[in-house]
Amino acid sequence: MIEVKDITKKFGRKKVLNGVSFTANKGEITCLIGINGVGKTTVLNAIMNLTPINSGEILIDGNKINKDSYEKITFIPDAITMLPSMKISDAMTFMADFYNAWNQTRADELLSFFKLDANERISSLSKGNTAKVNMLLGLALDVDYLLMDEPFSGIDIFSREQIAEVFTSHLVEDRGVIITTHEINDIEHLIDKAVLLNDGVVLREFNAEEVRETEGKSIIDVMREVYHA
Amino acid sequence: MVRNESLRKLGVVTMNIKFNNRDPVYVQVIQHFKEQIATGLFEPGQEIPSRRELANQLKINPNTAQRAYKEMEEQGLIFTERNLPSRITRDEAVIKTVREELILEAVNTFIASVQSINVPLDEALDLVKDNFDKAKDGQEGDA
Repeated sequence: MIEVKDITKKFGRKKVLNGVSFTANKGEITCLIGINGVGKTTVLNAIMNLTPINSGEILIDGNKINKDSYEKITFIPDAITMLPSMKISDAMTFMADFYNAWNQTRADELLSFFKLDANERISSLSKGNTAKVNMLLGLALDVDYLLMDEPFSGIDIFSREQIAEVFTSHLVEDRGVIITTHEINDIEHLIDKAVLLNDGVVLREFNAEEVRETEGKSIIDVMREVYHA
Repeated sequence: MVRNESLRKLGVVTMNIKFNNRDPVYVQVIQHFKEQIATGLFEPGQEIPSRRELANQLKINPNTAQRAYKEMEEQGLIFTERNLPSRITRDEAVIKTVREELILEAVNTFIASVQSINVPLDEALDLVKDNFDKAKDGQEGDA
């Protein structure tokens, strides 16, 4: 489990996170929802320790982030970080050299899952295929937790569907996933838990099936209530 | 899609459900199974997809698929022997109950809608008789 406990983060005088708490379980898909600029990406960066927090605590399986727990998590940013001149196969080799957790079998499986050609250069890929390569490079790591920043943003509907299919496949298995999004439509039925962020605070954290069962509300219904209150 | 085709050839059920966003997804999955069992489209003893295959076919969370299967197992709608794939129940009493339950649900919905517009029972029943076969023909024409 990833536990985010009352974290705050200031950039200069601006408080971007103002006491954010939530948990994300292994074997579940947790979704951080909020319009742009509410601190979703900062939360992911804080979990990865890419940005130091000002106060609060983040625990991974009960421990503060350290060398061991760092190897249990990977962060898939919203844009690919490989050089455009690289072929997909070069990017895969780079990852294999760099990470002990690289799983070549799963990487090959992901290539065919996404119908990608390893000989293509990243510079020649469509936006949708670039997003898929980006996902592949993260998903092929044997880690317990996957953090994905806006995996559905700015790509065509068919690519979105294909990426969504990852979440129902064995490629995610029983790992814990945290994704951020400002667009819930595509994934309403895919996520376990929603965490609604606004202005650096969590407005509500809930299990989607539970809210449908006890309140008869969709995730979007709850969002309307919370954001328009 | 290729996977679904090959599953169908093996006699494994495949499905497609239009979900609404406000009822629990697992409840909607169970309802769909009940309808298919009651109408005989899912045959007694027929193999059903694994939890992962179901999640994949329906594009739903695998934990939700798991929950639906767990509840259906408890209700006796499906059964699992050892490590084999789960199957639709062969228990005729269960299938009969499911069918009766669905009929009663439909009748209650019907009653609620005719009562809300104050239609007397005789008039409603005459219209039901007149239109029942027409509606059925129409449906078959659509399919």
